[in-house]
Amino acid sequence: MNPKFFCGSAAHRLNRRGFLGAAAAAGVAADMTGLSVLGSPALAADLRRTNKRVILLWLAGGASQLETFDPKPGATTGGPFRAIQTDVPGTQISELMPKMATRMKDVCLVRGLNTRNGDHGSGAKLMMRGRRDEANLRYPDLGAVVAREMGRPDSQVPDYVTFYTQTEGRGMAPGDSGFLGARYAPMELTTNNTPEFIRRLDSISETDHRERAELRDMLGRDFVRGRTSDTLGSHAEAYGRVRGIMGSERLFDVSQESQATRDKYGPTQFGQQALIARRLVEAGVPFVRVARAWWDSHGQNFETHQEMVPELDHVMATLIDDLKERGLRDDVMVITLAEFGRTPGINASLGRDHFAAAWSMTMTGANAKGGAVWGRTDPRGNTVTHEEVNAANLFATIYAALGINPHKNYYVGSRPIPLVDPGADPIAALIK
Amino acid sequence: MPLRPTFALAALAALSGSARADSPTAATPVHTAIDHYVDDAIKAAGVAPAPQADDATFVRRLTLDLVGRIPTPAEASAYVKAADADKRAKLVDRLLASPGFARHQAAQFEAMLNPEGGGRRSGALGEYLRTALAAGKSWERMYRELMLPDEADATMKGAADFLKSRVTDTDKLTNDVSVSFFGVNVSCAQCHDHPLVKDWTQDHFYGMKAFLVRTYDAGGSLAERGFGQVKYKANKGPEKLAPMMFLTGAKLDDATAREMTKDEQKKEKELIEQAKKDKKAPPRPAFSARAKLVEVSLKEGNADFFSRSVVNRMWHRYFGSGLVNPLDQMHSENPPSHPELLAWLAKDTASHGYDLKRLIRGIVMSQAYSRSSRYPTEATPDRKLFAVAQLKPFTPLQLSTSLKIAAADPAQFEGKKAGDLEKTLEQLESSGRGFASLIAVPTDNFQVGVGEALLFTNGDRVAKEFLTDNGVLARAKGLTDKKAAVALLVRSAYGREPTAAESTALVAYVENRADRLPEAYRQVLWALVTGPEFRFVY
Repeated sequence: MNPKFFCGSAAHRLNRRGFLGAAAAAGVAADMTGLSVLGSPALAADLRRTNKRVILLWLAGGASQLETFDPKPGATTGGPFRAIQTDVPGTQISELMPKMATRMKDVCLVRGLNTRNGDHGSGAKLMMRGRRDEANLRYPDLGAVVAREMGRPDSQVPDYVTFYTQTEGRGMAPGDSGFLGARYAPMELTTNNTPEFIRRLDSISETDHRERAELRDMLGRDFVRGRTSDTLGSHAEAYGRVRGIMGSERLFDVSQESQATRDKYGPTQFGQQALIARRLVEAGVPFVRVARAWWDSHGQNFETHQEMVPELDHVMATLIDDLKERGLRDDVMVITLAEFGRTPGINASLGRDHFAAAWSMTMTGANAKGGAVWGRTDPRGNTVTHEEVNAANLFATIYAALGINPHKNYYVGSRPIPLVDPGADPIAALIK
Repeated sequence: MPLRPTFALAALAALSGSARADSPTAATPVHTAIDHYVDDAIKAAGVAPAPQADDATFVRRLTLDLVGRIPTPAEASAYVKAADADKRAKLVDRLLASPGFARHQAAQFEAMLNPEGGGRRSGALGEYLRTALAAGKSWERMYRELMLPDEADATMKGAADFLKSRVTDTDKLTNDVSVSFFGVNVSCAQCHDHPLVKDWTQDHFYGMKAFLVRTYDAGGSLAERGFGQVKYKANKGPEKLAPMMFLTGAKLDDATAREMTKDEQKKEKELIEQAKKDKKAPPRPAFSARAKLVEVSLKEGNADFFSRSVVNRMWHRYFGSGLVNPLDQMHSENPPSHPELLAWLAKDTASHGYDLKRLIRGIVMSQAYSRSSRYPTEATPDRKLFAVAQLKPFTPLQLSTSLKIAAADPAQFEGKKAGDLEKTLEQLESSGRGFASLIAVPTDNFQVGVGEALLFTNGDRVAKEFLTDNGVLARAKGLTDKKAAVALLVRSAYGREPTAAESTALVAYVENRADRLPEAYRQVLWALVTGPEFRFVY
């Protein structure tokens, strides 16, 4: 095979089993990221790695780092809220987050983000993908990549679920599987907490629903004989997953949880969706995003944050505790991220504007190092003075902390596409 | 640094034809030439090709490929029953001449020119493409009209959309022009010389960009400056000025490459304002770099990119994969599966004025095109040999239109004048557009997502919009013989008679539901249209 031309299609004559056998015999990790792998459950199952999952708490509109994880009390830019000491010596966060203050030893905090894009739309795109789209390539976002890396082709649960119930900014940050295609397209929940088309219509009985599907399978059986096509395989797989996915409807139903657990998460929509996210990752869903909108406080920044940060504090702390109690701490990473942060400067409407030059995010669980703090900003929060991180470094770090090699390639046709921009390395200090 | 010659062309020039007596010449019919080269390669590989597809399979495949829908039951059975020796040629010619051909090919071209649109939108560009294809315009003419649209001509409004949707991003424009018309993706060479492909250096990308950098948006209409240049910083060394240079390395002596002075910028703004006030098109330059690109790209010695790319795209459209894959990677490091065939077809297409119908007709009349997609033994030959037909997933519109036809009362298509039948079919196509927007557009290595299966299984649109009580289901319900009723449904969806085993299973399914026959028939039709035999061109 011409090493310069790896064709990711069924056309290249590669005996998959043979390839794996040889690779295993040679003692190398078999890693084949031609997209055609998707069409081969056997291969994909053979290639399954550790089963890490992600819950992304998406703070849509841009939460303020100064009212959360990087307070500047007493500075002209600091605003009215105080800072409080956390359980990590030398690290203080906003007084609006008392619960997280006692849990920072589990949290990996990045304060040095400089992502250079203060626009809601393209900023959200950047922070969901870790890179800018280019002219002729739609990159998959974090959810699609994690689904692709951690999911199974025959999975009986969804691969990638995203909750975005509020309308503000929803159109600017849709989940997007890019060139990974329909197989990894997110299941989007926008109006309620149950996915579309997951429930049998009342117009057909359970028996007919099942037997109709069996009839369909029977009709296709003869057709597929002697015909080979990856797409044909994926079509069968898609229908093969239907009843399993329908069975996962109960995962979206919080009434399956004890009252005590539901009370812990609290009655808010954000809390309930975080609980559903926990139920989903526990059942093996690789990636769930829960968006909470709308943090875009151009006016009344302090009222907005006084209202929204305590909710974030509560939901985040509850989720981290719950995952820990269920023994999922090492398997599930909770991320807080937005399209950008907010200006240190306070405007005439007592608001803060878009700001991507010095802001914060967190990673908790999986192989992210608890208690680590990376990046320092100046006393007013205008610039990153130490350990600056851009979107590509951040994504390399997230992938590495999930056990995914950030430099591995996907192939679009013959073109190798590394998961992160070339030259962007993970921050070793943040990985266990 | 001197530019390397382009290897692709060197390779072309060096092709030693298998100088056999029966090698195709310029006078050989297109389909004969195709079969000559394809059969040669199959023989050389020592494999047996799949047999020819049967008539029912062929009429379905051809109708889907040429007019974007399954045949009506009447069309399918008429073709199968026809006994005349030239029935295939007659069918090809009838479909090529039908309005459905222009509509479906336009949709395919639109998906190629605007991939982000997902091939579902049908705006002004789609309208232009339909009109152009219906008028039998050549690919060369369409290329000229897309690249040099005359916005003053109302009928050309849509042609300008290709440039207009990209004019604010010259990098994207440069790359999309190269991909769409020359089969070359130069975006890799934007930041660095291509690591793997010697053909593409930064000079190529910026050389192409220099032709397009003067094109700009003048308050909603396209305009071009008479000067302007591209500078770029190479990975090594100082900032460079990029001369206009075509992909072959052909450079243009260009006296007009310079920066705009402040005065000129001001003057230009005034002229544009004035033109706006006068409701006139913005001023045109004495020297148009964009027109120069079109001229240079069609010149002897340079036109291979243009001709090979369109041939490769058409081949991909009907065979399911290109002679070169991916379609935008036509360079020396990625040789075609059949170099002589690609060269012959490119030459033939160029020497016949880029007549698309001639090329398409040649492709679909070949024996290579009409092979079965089923291979009788385990070891399927390499796809690149085209020894067995490949499955092609439906486009969204193919799926929705075919659903409409499968669920319609077959009598709707019978005893009508050709013109009236076409109108009926066009109406069905339009009525399915909304549903089509829910279906993913297929790409190479397309994977059907579970979302589609859930939509068909649990969404109410399929039942409400397609499996309605007044089409073929009403007919089935009206038949007392259940065997005849399920046969009617199989014919309607699959264009063939049911096998004995299918008939038995379907009749049993219906008989178990004697208390709810209409529902039972609806479920049978659902099972038919969600099956793989319906979802693919096979």
